[in-house]
Amino acid sequence: MLEVSQVSVRRGSTVTLHDISISLEPGQTLAVVGESGAGKSTLINAILGLVPCSAGQVTWDSLPVRQCWPALVMQEPRSAFNPRLSLRRSVMEPVTVRGTVVDAGRLDRLCAGLEIAQGLLDRRPAEVSIGQAQRVGILRALIAAPPLVLFDEPLSALDAVTQKHTAQLISQLQGEEGFAALIVTHDLGYAAAFADEIAVLRAGRIEELTAAQDFVQAPQTPYGQSLCDAAFALGALERVA
Amino acid sequence: MRSVAWLILVFVALAVFGPVIAPYNPTQIDIPNRLRAPNAEQLLGTDALGRDILSRLLHGARWSLGLAFVISVAGLVIGTCIGLLAAFGGKVVDWIVMRATDTFLAFPELVAAVVIAGVLGAGTSSLIFALTVTSWMRYARVARGIGLSLNARGYVVQARLVGLSPFAIARWHYLPSLMPSLTVVWTGMFARAILGISALGFLGFGVQPPMPEWGTMLLDARIHMRSTPLQMIWPGMAVVICVLTINLTGDALRDALAKQEVKA
Amino acid sequence: MIQFIAILLQRAVVVLTGAAMATFALLWHAPGDPALAIAMARHNAIVSTDVVDLIRAEAGLDAGFWSAFQAWITPLLVGDFGQSSVTGRDVWPDLVTAVSYTMPLALAALMVGLMVSVPLALVATLHPGGWLDRGAVALASIGVAIPAFWLGLLLILLFAVHLGWLPAMGARTPQHIILPALTLGLGVAASLTRILRSGILEARDQPFLPAFRRRGVAHRNIERDHVTPHAAIPFVTVFGLELAFLLEGLVVVEVIFARPGLAGFLVTAIKTRDFPKVQAVVLVTAVVFVVVNLLIDLIYRNLDPRIGE
Repeated sequence: MLEVSQVSVRRGSTVTLHDISISLEPGQTLAVVGESGAGKSTLINAILGLVPCSAGQVTWDSLPVRQCWPALVMQEPRSAFNPRLSLRRSVMEPVTVRGTVVDAGRLDRLCAGLEIAQGLLDRRPAEVSIGQAQRVGILRALIAAPPLVLFDEPLSALDAVTQKHTAQLISQLQGEEGFAALIVTHDLGYAAAFADEIAVLRAGRIEELTAAQDFVQAPQTPYGQSLCDAAFALGALERVA
Repeated sequence: MRSVAWLILVFVALAVFGPVIAPYNPTQIDIPNRLRAPNAEQLLGTDALGRDILSRLLHGARWSLGLAFVISVAGLVIGTCIGLLAAFGGKVVDWIVMRATDTFLAFPELVAAVVIAGVLGAGTSSLIFALTVTSWMRYARVARGIGLSLNARGYVVQARLVGLSPFAIARWHYLPSLMPSLTVVWTGMFARAILGISALGFLGFGVQPPMPEWGTMLLDARIHMRSTPLQMIWPGMAVVICVLTINLTGDALRDALAKQEVKA
Repeated sequence: MIQFIAILLQRAVVVLTGAAMATFALLWHAPGDPALAIAMARHNAIVSTDVVDLIRAEAGLDAGFWSAFQAWITPLLVGDFGQSSVTGRDVWPDLVTAVSYTMPLALAALMVGLMVSVPLALVATLHPGGWLDRGAVALASIGVAIPAFWLGLLLILLFAVHLGWLPAMGARTPQHIILPALTLGLGVAASLTRILRSGILEARDQPFLPAFRRRGVAHRNIERDHVTPHAAIPFVTVFGLELAFLLEGLVVVEVIFARPGLAGFLVTAIKTRDFPKVQAVVLVTAVVFVVVNLLIDLIYRNLDPRIGE
């Protein structure tokens, strides 16, 4: 279980994350929503240990979180791959580096699940579409069967049709694999449709943390309300009530 | 990159086969035949000790080009490692490395090389040491600059997350991106090394006689400038042609890389 | 701005301290017994071990590295460069004499460099890619590849030996400076031309200039207000490099023309293992170099407001 307890991050004199506490069970999905600059990416970096926490700690089953080899799906799918290497090499990096034993059919199964064609992996990042690259990114994240996967705006570089499709694939694979997913997004519609819980991040603090359905029907804070209203106005959320 | 490969090939061939095709022994002294003008047997004539100048030039290629190659590659390896250390090591390491680089840049290269080679005693090993110690800084700066920009790249973050060792990250994710720019720097430094070797040789701090190094040959020829001025032309021409070829290749490579960047 | 200067000064101090230590470390680890070398140079004969030991103690060579370094750096900080270990004379006055020959040569060479490169670059960029431009680029490329010591010898051969127009050796008359200044200056001109040319071309290629032209801003005003300042930036940067080039060239050029400047001072000092003199030259060079680069950083920042925040 992922436990983020009272984490603060400061850069120079400014506090970018303030006293964040969240927890996440295997198989569950937590969506962190908020506007640009709210500290969403910093939260991901803090969880992964890429940015030092000035206070608090992040653990997975009481161990430092890096020891569970969490995986990350990035916002810009192409730049997540070394442009000079084939996608296959990058995808297999987590497996080859750690010497993880992966059963022979796993790559094929995941490819099938993510609808990645056979020859695609032998191309380089510049030779595939962004949607394809993002699915390969998810493949790389999942290949070594991590217990925790973080998604940093996984859909925002994709076009509308691909977005929906990719979101469904992620959700489907989570059902099969049972990893815990933390999704950072500004897309409330996506969060409401696929997450179990929603955390609203604003100026480095968590404004509210509730079950997704409750949040959409009755946000607890004025800021949550305004987020919901904006999403309704854009047609990103269907009024469930 | 291909033109650079050709350049290296031609120069290596010259350094390797130059001595083979040389018609005479470059250190064979033949006093009765001293200071001869170019003739059918000795195409470029003989020097003050009667040694065949063409043979000395061809053997000299091994010294001038070979040593320049060794020096520039040594600088490349050392500088790249130091630059990557600065890029990987965090702020404190970076500060220390950069101030060390500035310190070595605080002396004009040739002046420092003269002092180092002179103080350590003339000879090939102190020549190599002197010119390497004074030439790694450019590589370090370039490697650090590109390295810092790569630190935040998605694939580097991914590689760190999956636990790839720093060496492997450097090998697979940094070096390929560094190589084009470092090759451009290298061509420039190769040319500078040729100039440096001959300058040190000319000042008497470099390759020692009777070894036929182009700068040392110039030093010998200078005394007989009045009687056999041609003797002084050849070694200088050899240096100019080599340096010019290398510089032009480097320029072409840089233009090609700039075009590639514009495309990408 | 004040903070920027403070950072630069702090760096300069660190660099100079490092340079002093590097120099001292090199001489400390020099092969051979320095005391013996001094004794030989001073008395020009094999001397007894007592004399060598005396010299060793006198020069502070019997103490450890750090105490010797301290003993050396302390007087340096107040500008005392010590005495020549060979002649026993003060280093400073001799150094000043040497500089008094080197400075005019360096300045003359710089003048030659500017007088050749600026017109050449301007003519070349009138029609980029035209035959004048290509000719200028070719000349500059060849110029960069010619080693200063060879060019110097060729000039001596032509102007002193064959034509007999100019004196070559020594520094007795003002004419003596012409050939060495040409030798150095042509090298400077070659690299300056390349930099200036690409600087001007790049400045003319700025993306906002066509908009000015369409709005009817006069060509002359565009050149004055937008091209010249932009082209000045690489020009200033390269001045630091030119200084290095000048100092490097000076070493060989002064030797070729037998001028009694810094280079002869340095080379003789190295050959006689007169380390106080070597240290003095090296450190003075480093100080000049660091100070000039500091000034360049300052000018640079004034020319390009994007730098250094």
